[in-house]
Amino acid sequence: MKGLLRTDWIGLLVLVLAGGAALAAARPEFLTAYNIDVILVSFCLTVVYALGQGVMIAIGHMNLALGATGCLVAVAFGGVLEVWHLPLALAIGFGLLLGVACGFVNGWLTYRTGLTSFIITLATLSIFKGAALGITQAQPFYGIPAAVKAFGSDRWGPLPEMLLVALPIVIVIAVFFGRMVVGRQLLAYGGNPHAAELSGIPASRVVILAHTLSGVLAAVAGMLSVARLQNATPSIGDEWLIASFAAPVIGGAVLTGGHLPVIGTCLGVLVVALINQALVMLAVDPFYVQVLLGLLILGAVGLNRLREVRLGTAPAVRLS
Amino acid sequence: MMRARDWLAAAFAATLLAAPALAKEVKVALVPGGPHPYFANWEQGGKDAMRDFGLAAADYKVPAKWELGLQNQLIENFAAQGYNAFLIFPGDPVGTNGPMQDLASSGIPSIATAGCTKDPTPALFCFGTDVGHSAYLGTKELIKTMGGKGTIVHFTGNLVDPNTELRMKAVQQAVDESHGAIKLLQTIADIDRTPQEADEKINALLAARGKEIDGIITTAWLPSVSAATALRRIGDKRIKMVGIDHDQVVLAAIKDGFVHGTMLQNPYGQAYIGSYVMEEIVGHGCKVNPNAPFKKNAYTTRFIDSGTAFLGADGVAHYQDAMKKVTQDLMKTFKATYLTCP
Repeated sequence: MKGLLRTDWIGLLVLVLAGGAALAAARPEFLTAYNIDVILVSFCLTVVYALGQGVMIAIGHMNLALGATGCLVAVAFGGVLEVWHLPLALAIGFGLLLGVACGFVNGWLTYRTGLTSFIITLATLSIFKGAALGITQAQPFYGIPAAVKAFGSDRWGPLPEMLLVALPIVIVIAVFFGRMVVGRQLLAYGGNPHAAELSGIPASRVVILAHTLSGVLAAVAGMLSVARLQNATPSIGDEWLIASFAAPVIGGAVLTGGHLPVIGTCLGVLVVALINQALVMLAVDPFYVQVLLGLLILGAVGLNRLREVRLGTAPAVRLS
Repeated sequence: MMRARDWLAAAFAATLLAAPALAKEVKVALVPGGPHPYFANWEQGGKDAMRDFGLAAADYKVPAKWELGLQNQLIENFAAQGYNAFLIFPGDPVGTNGPMQDLASSGIPSIATAGCTKDPTPALFCFGTDVGHSAYLGTKELIKTMGGKGTIVHFTGNLVDPNTELRMKAVQQAVDESHGAIKLLQTIADIDRTPQEADEKINALLAARGKEIDGIITTAWLPSVSAATALRRIGDKRIKMVGIDHDQVVLAAIKDGFVHGTMLQNPYGQAYIGSYVMEEIVGHGCKVNPNAPFKKNAYTTRFIDSGTAFLGADGVAHYQDAMKKVTQDLMKTFKATYLTCP
C-alpha cells in the first residue's frame, strides 16, 4: 500500500476517479455506454501518439514531426486502399513501413548530423506534411473499406474495438521500458547520454531506435484515425503536438529524459479527455473553453506535483 | 523598296503604338487561408475562368498550414513571380490587410474571397457567401422540419475565422424569432481545424445530451462531416440536421436520411467570377463602381454575396448543377452592377 502511494501516478488516478465521479453526479448521462465509448475512443487515439512522443522524451529528444508522420501515413494508407485497391493487410503493412521509414530518417539524420532532434523534426515535419498535401491536394480519400470503418465505430458495450490495438501497445511499451535491456538502455541514455556511452551503450542505436519506434506509433495512430474518421484527410495529426507533450508531462515525464511513466501517460490522456468532456457537458461558453482547458490542465499537473514534492518522490529536474 | 530590317522596325513601332490599346496580360493568384476541402473548387473555377476569359494564368496554391505568416509568404512569392491579381481568403480579417496593402502599393488589386477583411481595407470588395444569411436560412429550414419547436445545437467553425461570429449571431436570430418555441441548447465552436477535435466534441455532446436534442445546425465543413458521421454511427434519424457544404459524407447522409439537407456555398463561382472581374479590371481598365449596391456585414461595407442554396434529398444527385446555376445567375448582371468600364 505504501509503495502504491509512492508511485508517480496515484495522484492522477485519484484525480481521474474523483473527476469522473463529479461528472457522473453532475450529469448522470456521463456513465452511459455511449459516453464511456466516446472517452475511450479518444483515449485509444491519443495514448498511442502520446507514447510516440513519450519514447522521445525518454531519451531527452522530441519529435515535432509526430503529427506530420501520422498524417502522411494516414493519407498513404487511405490512398493505397482507394487508388491501388491493396488488400487491407498489405495496406496496414505499408503504413507501418512508412512510419518506420519516417522515424528512421529522423533518427539517422539526428545522429549523423549532430543537430538536435528539434531542428531535424522541425524540417521533416514540413517535408512529411507537404508530401501529404501534395498527395491529397487537400482532399480526403473517402474509399475506406467497410471493415476499417467498422473497426473505428464498433464497440462491445462501452468498450471500443480500437482498444484491441491501443491496450497491447501500452502493455508492450510498459514491458519494453520496464523489463527489457534495450528499453532500459534507452532510459539510461536519456538520463545521462555521456555516462551511457561510456558504459558501452551505442548512441546511434539508441537515437535511431527511439525515433523509429516513435514513427511506428505515429503510423498506428494515423491509421486508427482513418478508421475512426472514416476517411483519410490531410488534417489528421494537426492537433497532436501539444497533446502528445501534455499527456506524458501530466503523467510525470521529465523533458530532459531518463523516465517514461507509461501508466502516468495513460492517466494524463484520461485527465485531458475528462476535462474536454466536462467542458462540453457543462456547456462552457466557446470563447472561454481554451482558457478553462489550460487552467484545468495546469491545476491537474500542479496537484500531482505537489503530492510528489510532499512525498519526496518528485523526479529531479536536471538543468543543462 | 523596304528591306526586311525596315519591316521589322516598322512592326516594332506599330506594336509600341498599339500597346496601350491591347489588353494587359492577367495572372491571377488564388490563395486560401490553409488546407481545407472547401477551397478545392477554387482550382476548377480558376481553370475554367482562364479558358473562358483568356487569362494568362489562374493558379491556386495552398499554404501548408493555417498560419497567417505562411499565407503572407505565399502571397509575396506569387507577387515576385509576376502575378498581378489576387483572390485571397483572409487568414485574419485585420492581419490580411497588411499584405493586401503591400500589393495595392505596387498597383496589384486583390479581392477578399470567401471571407472578408475589416474596413478600412485595400481589398476591392469582399466576395463570399453571406454566411449570416446562409446560417439563418439553414436554421429556419431546420426549425421547419422540426415542426417549429424543440431544442437545437449549433456546431460551428474557428473563432478566429471572420465568419464564425456572423454565423453564431444568425443562428441566434432565427432562434429568437421562434419566440421561445426553439431553444438553442449549446454552441460548440473552434472545431473546424481538425476532424478528430470535431469528432470528439460532437460525440461527447450527443452522448451526454443526445436525448434533449431535436435538431443540429452546422455551419462549418468539418463539424458537418463529423455530425453526419456521428448520426449515421448511432443510427439516429430522430434528430434532424441541416449541414453546410458538399462533402461526400454529408451528401451520402442526406441521401440515406440521416441528414435533412445542406446549405450549399459557391466556392467554384467565387473563383470563376473573381478571376473574371480581375480580367476586366487589370486587363481592360474597368473599375469597381463605388455606387454599386454592395451589402454590409460586420466587417465591410463592400460585400457581394456569391450565393447560397439549400440542397435536400431530391437534389443530391445534381448538386453541382445547383452551384453552376447560382454562378450563371450572378454572371449575367455582375459587370453591369458592380463595374464601370471604359
